[in-house]
Amino acid sequence: MEILSLNLFIAALRLATPIALVALGETYSERAGVINVGVEGMALAGALTTAVVAYFTGSPTLALIAAIGVGAFLGALHAVWSVYLRADHVVSGAAINLLALGFALFLTRVIWGWRGASPSAPTMDAWILVGVGLFLIGISQIYIFRTPWGLRLRVVGEHPRAADTAGINVHRTRLAYTVLNGALCGLAGAFLFNNLGRFTEGMVGGRGFIGIAAMVVGNYRPLPALLAAYLFGFVDALQMRLQDYIPSQFSLMLPYILTVIVLAGFLGRAKVPKALGKPYIKEQG
Amino acid sequence: MKWAKEIGPVVGAITLALGVGAIVTALTGYSVPQVFKYLALGAFGDWYQVAQTLTQATPILFTSLSFLVAFRAGLFNIGAEGQLYLGAFFAAWAGFSFKLPPVIHPVVCLLFGAAAGAVWGFIPGWLRAKRGANEFVTTMMLSYVAIKLTSWLVSPGGPYHGAHWANQTVRILTSAQFPRFMRGAQLSWGIIVAVLIAGIIWYLLFRTPRGYELRAVGQNPLAAEYGGINVTKNLILALTLAGALAGLGGAAEILGTHRRFIELFSPGYGWDGIAGGLIARAHPLGAILAAVLMGALRAGGQAIDRAGVAPADLAAVIQGLVILFVVAPELIRYFQRVVRRKKLGDIES
Repeated sequence: MEILSLNLFIAALRLATPIALVALGETYSERAGVINVGVEGMALAGALTTAVVAYFTGSPTLALIAAIGVGAFLGALHAVWSVYLRADHVVSGAAINLLALGFALFLTRVIWGWRGASPSAPTMDAWILVGVGLFLIGISQIYIFRTPWGLRLRVVGEHPRAADTAGINVHRTRLAYTVLNGALCGLAGAFLFNNLGRFTEGMVGGRGFIGIAAMVVGNYRPLPALLAAYLFGFVDALQMRLQDYIPSQFSLMLPYILTVIVLAGFLGRAKVPKALGKPYIKEQG
Repeated sequence: MKWAKEIGPVVGAITLALGVGAIVTALTGYSVPQVFKYLALGAFGDWYQVAQTLTQATPILFTSLSFLVAFRAGLFNIGAEGQLYLGAFFAAWAGFSFKLPPVIHPVVCLLFGAAAGAVWGFIPGWLRAKRGANEFVTTMMLSYVAIKLTSWLVSPGGPYHGAHWANQTVRILTSAQFPRFMRGAQLSWGIIVAVLIAGIIWYLLFRTPRGYELRAVGQNPLAAEYGGINVTKNLILALTLAGALAGLGGAAEILGTHRRFIELFSPGYGWDGIAGGLIARAHPLGAILAAVLMGALRAGGQAIDRAGVAPADLAAVIQGLVILFVVAPELIRYFQRVVRRKKLGDIES
């Protein structure tokens, strides 16, 4: 069949990248014990930031750095809310999603006069970011499982009390990895912008949530999560080609339906960090 | 006293959000007094504007109830938007397909809407209870599926494409429509139905054994299980009910406001429900006030746009800020402590 060409497998890698980056970020923060469902909004903010900075400075590199910065800022916001102010992790993440969408609709109107869209702006080759993503995933697999810092990260998520006793600052560790998660989401957003060449409010389109699903399927490990992300990317690439054969509405449903099916099949078996989503309260001495 | 304790932090959060909203307004170069003036006028300026606010508040009250019912059972229904679309479509379908007497017809339409939404809540509920699938992600994913499905149904290639110039169904019959209160305003009986349902949900949650079980499961599933409560059943029930409520919201929107199903008609009422449910602290009667607040922000936002003062989406930013501050009660408590310490310091010095 013509649909299954080499191009499809290459396109799948490209489309898997934002999902894999979100999955990697979520792996870090959830390993530290912080659930972050604000990834969708953080990626959207990253994409918008890339559009704005690239449009006004003409420099895609500067835009990339700014997107990572904004993502990190939102990660810090989520960490302050969930770790220090002890807000429910999911609720805080949902709030960040709504806030990011609100800002995206508002700022596009303010800057370009279009609701939720930007004109085209200078981009960099999205393949560079694919390479960056693959590199980060590779070293993260080693970092998390083969280094003392990775061990500290895992202890904080599994048994914060033990980590605290061993002299690890639980709150600061959680803050750091949630910021890292945000930065990676910003990078995912920057990829989405460079992939399309302009900003639209629907450009993340659930890929943040699919990234969380990829992390779950990958059982909180970067390389398996990459494989899961590749599966989602493959279906995304496939559905674009199927649009010639079935109504686009149906082919567009495929990645979402796949996510539901995969989650239903896998989640029971994933090994969730024990202290995930629970605030850590230091005992008063 | 109990009331004041609950409402205090919420009022504090809203004030804080309006303050930050004012800073955002000023930083983006708009006039703060003008924005707040038109925001207030657009929301409550005259009876017509009040009607606009309540029209917007109607679907938001339904989706807020949807969110909070699931939340009380310890679940997150993020997919109210899709459930709302399915409910809207099936209510419209019942509205133009059946020939029934008035009063009975809208009730049948509402039931169709509720049933469609319930199915879309049951699936993630079942998957969560039986398979452990994270309902936060699955409700969201199914929401996209529902929106695409209803889009197809009314697209040129779909079976219910009712007008050649737009993706929408034909009009529902007059017998199915909710009566409206004022000429020229879309405010309909939907708001009465919504408030009644809020009362019913309050009764269900706080005055029946079923509601007690739901809340027990939400507070501590292990203890609930130990106490002989069927956790699986309650999880499924909570999301099914949440879906039905969002579906009702879609149905009410069709019967009262649009009177036909239109592709992508919702400006994000499902998302507003998350905000409404959280601002109401998951209390069904509080949700009435929260929905009016959300509706006022939407109606006020449209007014600042119409007056050319600032884009309507500034209201969406303020809404996002309200939620952000509402969900961190510790933040408000922190401010209260700072204020108290200052006062104490004054006395000591």
